[in-house]
Amino acid sequence: MYLPDFEYYAPESIAETCQLLSQFGPRAKVIAGGSDIIVKMKKEVLAPEVLVSIKNLAELKKIEYVPGKGVVVGARVTHNDLYKSKLLAEKYASVSNAAGQMADNQVRNIGTLGGNISNAVPSADLPPIFIALNATVKLEGVNGERTMPLEDLFTGPGKTVLAQDEIITEVVIPDQKMTGSNYIKFGLRKSGALAVVGVAVAVEVENNVIKDARVALGAVAATPVRAKKTEEFLKGKTVTDELLAEAGVIASGECKPISDIRASAEYRTDLVRVFTKRALRKAIDEGHV
Amino acid sequence: MSVKVNKDFSYVGKSLDRNDSFLKTTGRAQYTADLKFPNMLYGKLIRSTVAHARIINIDTSEAEKLPGVKAIITAKDVPSMKWGLSPARFDENIFAIDKVLYVGDKIGAVCAVDEETVYKALKLIKVEYEELPAVLTWQEAAKEGAPQIFEEYPGNVNTEIHHKFGDPDAALKEAYYVRTDRLQGQRTYHAFIENHCSIGMWDGDKATLYSSCQSVHYLQYHLARVLGMKMGDLRVLKTHVGAGFGGKLDPTGLDFSALILSKMLGQPVKMFYDHEETFLNGHGRHAITMELTTGVDKNGKVLAHKFKAILDGGAYTGLGIASTYYAGSLLGVLYPIENYQFDAYRYVTNLPPCGAQRGHGQPQPRYAFEHHLDLIGEAIGVDPIDMRLVNARKNNTVTTAGYEVKSYHLGKANEMARDASGWKEKRGKLGLGRGIGVGNGGFVTGAGFCQYRTDLPHSVGMIKIYDDGTRAFVYSQAVDIGQGSDTVLLQMAAEAMGYPYEKCQMYAGDTDLTTLDFGAYASRQTLMAGWAVKRAGEDVKQKILEQAVEMFRESGRIKEGWAYIGNRELRPDDLDCKEGIVFVKQEPSLTLTFEEVARRYFVTKGVLIGRGWYHPGKLGGNHKGAAVGTSPAYSSATQIAEVKVDLETGQIECVDTWDVHDSGTIINPKLFHGQVHGAFSMGIGETIWEEVKFDDKGKLLNGNFSEYRLPTALDMPPVLSLTVEDSWEPNGPYGLKEVGEGATTPTMGCVANAIYDAIGVSMTELPITYEKVWRALKEKREKEQK
Ligand SMILES: Cc1cc2nc3c(=O)[nH]c(=O)nc-3n(C[C@H](O)[C@H](O)[C@H](O)COP(=O)(O)OP(=O)(O)OC[C@H]3O[C@@H](n4cnc5c(N)ncnc54)[C@H](O)[C@@H]3O)c2cc1C
Repeated sequence: MYLPDFEYYAPESIAETCQLLSQFGPRAKVIAGGSDIIVKMKKEVLAPEVLVSIKNLAELKKIEYVPGKGVVVGARVTHNDLYKSKLLAEKYASVSNAAGQMADNQVRNIGTLGGNISNAVPSADLPPIFIALNATVKLEGVNGERTMPLEDLFTGPGKTVLAQDEIITEVVIPDQKMTGSNYIKFGLRKSGALAVVGVAVAVEVENNVIKDARVALGAVAATPVRAKKTEEFLKGKTVTDELLAEAGVIASGECKPISDIRASAEYRTDLVRVFTKRALRKAIDEGHV
Repeated sequence: MSVKVNKDFSYVGKSLDRNDSFLKTTGRAQYTADLKFPNMLYGKLIRSTVAHARIINIDTSEAEKLPGVKAIITAKDVPSMKWGLSPARFDENIFAIDKVLYVGDKIGAVCAVDEETVYKALKLIKVEYEELPAVLTWQEAAKEGAPQIFEEYPGNVNTEIHHKFGDPDAALKEAYYVRTDRLQGQRTYHAFIENHCSIGMWDGDKATLYSSCQSVHYLQYHLARVLGMKMGDLRVLKTHVGAGFGGKLDPTGLDFSALILSKMLGQPVKMFYDHEETFLNGHGRHAITMELTTGVDKNGKVLAHKFKAILDGGAYTGLGIASTYYAGSLLGVLYPIENYQFDAYRYVTNLPPCGAQRGHGQPQPRYAFEHHLDLIGEAIGVDPIDMRLVNARKNNTVTTAGYEVKSYHLGKANEMARDASGWKEKRGKLGLGRGIGVGNGGFVTGAGFCQYRTDLPHSVGMIKIYDDGTRAFVYSQAVDIGQGSDTVLLQMAAEAMGYPYEKCQMYAGDTDLTTLDFGAYASRQTLMAGWAVKRAGEDVKQKILEQAVEMFRESGRIKEGWAYIGNRELRPDDLDCKEGIVFVKQEPSLTLTFEEVARRYFVTKGVLIGRGWYHPGKLGGNHKGAAVGTSPAYSSATQIAEVKVDLETGQIECVDTWDVHDSGTIINPKLFHGQVHGAFSMGIGETIWEEVKFDDKGKLLNGNFSEYRLPTALDMPPVLSLTVEDSWEPNGPYGLKEVGEGATTPTMGCVANAIYDAIGVSMTELPITYEKVWRALKEKREKEQK
């Protein structure tokens, strides 16, 4: 475990960042908090010759509400920034709670939203709740910017549509009708454990009838996935315990987990059932929590 | 938390701060890896990448060309004498000769000017292997025609033990109820935070080795033996040690290489591991396969017990023979069992070697027996605590195997734990998903014998008083690995001298400058090094009192009080000394300060030195293997745990715990409670989360703290730690007994029993993971539906 040599740049603007990434091509990687990439470099999984740090890009540190657009979260916001944000606590406590359950305090202090998303690890904790809230992600590169639904960013484990010269700059949670949302992370101990299963839901409920629902699952497929059959099943139905239990069963049929050192596929599948049911109940009864 | 404090003591029984707490909490304590010496070089081991193979060729030519590489050594460059910790089974070489036995086995060492070059050089070394079939479980190792790992262990059997006391088979026939259970333990790892590190250096023919270890004496002994040195020519010492838990007792390849390379190169050499390498160094807890058959009478009194244990030993013997004995030797201490049979086998396999880990071979068998006892109690309708009360050993008794047990209050511990936990209101009444369970345990307070054959005393202490009496320096080779031995030894030394604790300073764990002690293992230091420093303190005091008599006489002051003493000369035993003040017992206003007396001693007689000595003498037990289990004193303990289980996911939460310990006098209550908390953390971890895993090629899968899951602070329940207050151990200084290892031994049993109470399914395989509980509950539901 020895960190190999690399060149280091800390540009002052997004444009300059993209320019450097374009100039060095595949030899370069972005570094945000470094909680993932440094570990990979020490383990020799990655060996970038150039690291381009985005730490000087102050505009990526914001969490703000822009009327007509929604809650805008910069890519360099840390997990503890999310966890401690007053704005999020007010509007989408489900997001801050998801961030608060991640890793441990030290990692929450340095790990960023952008890093968590770009990593594209199936077990990452933040994508599911943002996807459930229909978030979009903005990418900027040398040839301009593009925006897309967050769920479209991921193409496989560790894979995204990001081009070599592109970085993620912000994630936006649009204004919405969803009345509640919730993320449940299931790890094998209370702290410092990666998700064995993560279930995020968002629901619009009126007079005890589910008008709309979004369910996003983490750690049970190659990318975070929507449970679309479950969503369809829920729409227009009156909330009962039986309904939520059945939704859980349907969701468990929509995931394709693998067996690994942490859990078997069979166990993960059943956990999706349990946590879909529980997350729905929370979002319905308690709002965005 | 309650602990009896004897009011007559100045320092014993007080929750004094650890002597190193300030250094450690401010980050200024230096561990071996922090030390730097002029011209120091760095090195690492070359390790096998395959589980079982013949070494065909080691090509170091590319690595040697790398600028900065100073030396690369392999078996051909070092002595070939075999070593080990079990005298009858020395089976390890400094570096593998001919064959490697596990992924991570030691092939050689690389030394370079800096760490970076070491890592680069390691990658350039090419080892060519002829792979041999490997055996990764004892079941494979035991098969007919299985690959042989060692010629000297036919059938891969490293050792076997057969103990029989009384007539178990006859007694089982007479029993009211007989039951057999099979349980499985897992391989675990000590998980100390400070990795192994050693620094070697030479001055002429004198070598010095800094090593993060648990026993400077044993290390000195083994290294000197293999390297052909006189013990006096090798100084072994340690700085602060970031824990050991049994994992720093065996010499490592680092120790040997640091000495050999530094001699070769004439420069100090630091050898170090990272966490994964420390996992590979191994010597953690054996996975034990256990079968228990017990016959009881109507009240649950055990009439006969047969225990069969099979240990998966990994590649070498290390301390494994002792581990195997410990699997069976202490059960009869907790519970008097007249008819007892113990059959054990330890197999060698192509995995990292196993050895001692807190509680040594005992914790898994304790889990098995404590759970077995609950299942028996359930079958005959006896409450778990009553099962234990009816069986608990009594004070001042002798075990079936002949061990003499002086203080022993296990029954009292059970009653106290029962009452403190609200057992009667909770047991069986918490509803599905919640449960409470009990487990008993205990340990030796020091082993009765040295690890190798010798007539040496087990501990020698020395105290030197500074010339003007303003400081006392306490010397011992005792090793403080975080348990706080330096602090409690100073407390006892200060008490014995009657000198202020704050003015006492410890010099420990250095074979040149301090005095013999076998080190930190078998929960021995507080008792054994304690006796040695206590006696050294008493020797100091005696000299002070004798000097004070002279001074009182010379000064003429004594005449006023003369009448009280009678018509005779003032004698040392007319005086006493406490907290630095020497006084006449019958006239306490007549005083001298320790300082002035000590100074006068120095001026008239030279340096004031106190000396102490300890040997446990001949202890009980005559059977083969009696050496593992015989001890001057035995602790006992009861633990109770309350758990919550999520019936849908199998998630387990330990919500509350209680520990009542029979540890004799508690020298430092704060440190004592710290041991109990730490033991719970380790024990709960081993019950629910911890397991070292390998793939089907013998490669370590989880050599890190992300996938080898220890409980975090958030996973820890509150711990109520109590002691049996009137326990006094005649064989311990100030009446003390151990707490370090004994506290870990009841935990797995009590947590497993609580889980059983919560879910109604007996979990017979450690660790009891969430997924295993989930599966067990699912199978139970499916069965009920049929
Ligand atoms: C001990 C530990 C515990 C952890 N626990 C959790 C956990 O519970 N849950 C969880 O989800 N994760 C966990 N992680 C993983 C990691 O901390 C998170 O994924 C974190 O969010 C990564 O952010 P970072 O800023 O540190 O990323 P970095 O390491 O800096 O970068 C990660 C990757 O993303 C790229 N990248 C970073 N920012 C951008 C950007 N703005 N645009 C484009 N690419 C970018 C980098 O090039 C790199 O490939 C844990 C990690 C550790 C070390």
